[in-house]
Amino acid sequence: MMHSLIQLSIVVLLLPLLSFVVLIFFNRRLPRMGDFVGVGLLGTAFALALYIFWNVVVQHYDPAFRIAWNFTWLDLGNVPGVGPLTVKMGIVIDNLTAIMLAMVTLISLLVHLYSTGYMAGDKNYGRFFAYLGIFTFSMLGIVLSDNLFSIYIFWELVGLSSYLLIGFYFEKDSAADAQKKAFLTNRVGDIGMWLGILILYSQFHTFGYQEIYENIAAGKFGLSNGWLTAAGILLFFGCVGKSAQFPLHIWLPDAMEGPTPVSALIHAATMVAAGVYFVGRIFVILSVDALHYIAFIGAVTAFMSATIAITQHDIKRVLAYSTVSQLGYMVMGLGVGAYSAALFHLLTHAFFKACLFLGSGAIIHAMHHEQDMRWMGGLRKNMPWTFATFSIATLALAGLPLTSGFMSKDAILAGALGFAATEGGGIYYIIPVLGFASAMMTAFYMGRQVWLVFFGESRTHLKPAEEHHDDHAAHGHDAHGNDAFDHAGHGHADPGHGDHHGVHEVGWVMRLPLVILATLSIFIVFSPDPLDGGKGWFMHLVPTPSTVVKSTENAPKEAGLVTGGKLLAEAANDSEHPAAAVHAGAVVAASHGEATAEAHGPVFADARQAEIAHATHANHFTAIYLSSAMIIIGGGLALVVYKLGAIDPDKTAQAIRPLYLYSFNKWYWDEIFDATFIKGSMLISKSCAWFDTNIIDGFVNGIATVYRKVAFANGSFDKYVVDGLVNFTAFFVQTSGGVMRKIQTGKVQTYLVMVLLVVLGYFAFYLVQLMK
Amino acid sequence: MEMFTAIGLNHFLTISTMLFALGMFAVMTRKNAIVILMGVELILNAANINFLAFSKYNGGMEGVMISLFVIVLAAAEAAVALAIVINIFKTFKTVDVSSVDTMKE
Repeated sequence: MMHSLIQLSIVVLLLPLLSFVVLIFFNRRLPRMGDFVGVGLLGTAFALALYIFWNVVVQHYDPAFRIAWNFTWLDLGNVPGVGPLTVKMGIVIDNLTAIMLAMVTLISLLVHLYSTGYMAGDKNYGRFFAYLGIFTFSMLGIVLSDNLFSIYIFWELVGLSSYLLIGFYFEKDSAADAQKKAFLTNRVGDIGMWLGILILYSQFHTFGYQEIYENIAAGKFGLSNGWLTAAGILLFFGCVGKSAQFPLHIWLPDAMEGPTPVSALIHAATMVAAGVYFVGRIFVILSVDALHYIAFIGAVTAFMSATIAITQHDIKRVLAYSTVSQLGYMVMGLGVGAYSAALFHLLTHAFFKACLFLGSGAIIHAMHHEQDMRWMGGLRKNMPWTFATFSIATLALAGLPLTSGFMSKDAILAGALGFAATEGGGIYYIIPVLGFASAMMTAFYMGRQVWLVFFGESRTHLKPAEEHHDDHAAHGHDAHGNDAFDHAGHGHADPGHGDHHGVHEVGWVMRLPLVILATLSIFIVFSPDPLDGGKGWFMHLVPTPSTVVKSTENAPKEAGLVTGGKLLAEAANDSEHPAAAVHAGAVVAASHGEATAEAHGPVFADARQAEIAHATHANHFTAIYLSSAMIIIGGGLALVVYKLGAIDPDKTAQAIRPLYLYSFNKWYWDEIFDATFIKGSMLISKSCAWFDTNIIDGFVNGIATVYRKVAFANGSFDKYVVDGLVNFTAFFVQTSGGVMRKIQTGKVQTYLVMVLLVVLGYFAFYLVQLMK
Repeated sequence: MEMFTAIGLNHFLTISTMLFALGMFAVMTRKNAIVILMGVELILNAANINFLAFSKYNGGMEGVMISLFVIVLAAAEAAVALAIVINIFKTFKTVDVSSVDTMKE
């Protein structure tokens, strides 16, 4: 019997697909190109998802809540050389799923709503909503999947919808290039992910998460630990591609070629977070080495993209690099074992980054497709709503106290500090250092953005005229005011760019999502205590799961997983001795007092995890102080540079020109990839082509030549010998006929003469014979 | 009879050969179909002489019999041949055999 929540979740999953099917086929026949279908179905889906969220999160409020359902999708029996091959499909609903479900449907709904304003008048308006539908369907599929196989399917589907949406303005070369780049870069990661899935499948003959966890916990992984680490890192490659981690981050900034609502939905809030979500799902099977790898990748990503974001001019590119940076934070958080904090950041980041992107979309829309921040300025008077929501989201992104971003980012940074302390310092302190440096730069570049866009005076007139024109041609989508209906909130008939009189606040369909998202960026939504996300419902409901991989370094062997876990569970339940049952080979975070025991509710089966959690808790306030200091430094610097004008940014850029260029050119990664992989691929392709044309084709042509020669010889034989024989026969007959016809005079007398001659000849012969 | 005894078989054969040759010559050289028929008669008669001569010198009567048959056949042959000649004349308006060469075609 299927649980009713499972049934509901299937409905939630299928509604966006229905929207896609209806809109892709019938959008031209529906009034308003069918946008109400997309918004309405998504609204229904969100209502149902909210019901699931209410039921799971609010009513149950149980960290261990989990319901699952699956069915056999493919049963190929016992395949020779592989073993039993059965593919199951299924749905799992736990707290994380319920939260993600609500988050994805909410943001998707808001983006649908927003797009009715932003995309109004586009000639492919209906198709845009269809694509949003299939994206939402795929994303919900990722969230609901209970096994690696189906998540891989949905993984590719989000890749596809991302491809379609990035290239929505496919008439533009840059958009077409960007979509190709995104798709191919993602493929690189996906190959690794698939290999990782295959390693696990080869061992357990199942794709199901739960079965894999149980098998590994039972020590059934037949290969060495190195292979388990490899499997973890390979699975992480999927995340590297999808979540734009170093070195596959290059596609995400280019993906900003897509319409801005898409950037908000896919390339900031949901799809790119899918990688983090996936790593969260496989978190328990990651070995310590794999976690270290993940932590370093995340930290490097966070730092690198933060440095790049500082110097970008395009408002969306700044946000894109900021997204990469924040994703780096999440990945780093998972790597350092701050599981709940990382996923918490995923949730909070989804809201405030979506808000930022939608806000930037509103600005771009109001500025008539001007995206360059150098030519903006002073917009706070024209667009007060956008300014207010954008500012709240900026503060959340920078991590100012009283915002959601503060709690989650701080939890990650505390986790990083705890991790470094547990691992014995040294090189591991690079991770928190990079994290704090990124926090500072985040504050700086977001401050720079807000001041450049909203404060000061309008700089529209400063824009060079020529560039102005090209820029508009490149960025503008062309269908404005052509066909379809015009939106009431912003009829801009005049093509005058960025003229300040033409900049108006956007309509309510675009304002409402901003307000909702900005509201969701306030601390109270997540936790009553603005300084500690650990007291909030999220951290309670999504606790760090017990790893199923033994950390062989620190824990003695007898701290076996299952037994250790049980012992510790008993210990934790025994409220009489909060700090007593610590040494079963593992340390419980309970030593931190009752509050801690409650905050870190679950019991860790593994010593290392427990130690990290403990150290994290110890470093909680250090992290708060440090990160607040960083925010003040970064934000203050931005204030000094861009508001007060105490330091001229251009002169500074000149003074540190190499560094500036290094950042402005995005650490030259595109150039590096171009010089290595792309040139290398081209070289390989060219040599393959050379091999093909010269060796393979040569071989084929050689054979053809031989055949031709043989055929010619054969032909000659036919022509000269066989035909010759035939012709000779004919010729002979003809010639002899010609001779003979001379004899045939038709005169009886001639014949008579011949008869006589023959008779005489005979006689003569006879006589000669007689004479002998 | 002495004179007859002096006349031997060879004399007969010589006469018949000459006669044959004359007939043959006529057949081969004359253009008139009637004359050719006459040549044919000469040839037949040359053959008759041969038969009779051999019959006489051989002592049997077979030669005489055959020559009687040949005379009858010659009469029949002449009748048929003359009919043919009349038909040729009807067709070609001539009895010149050199102009009757349609067998060539």
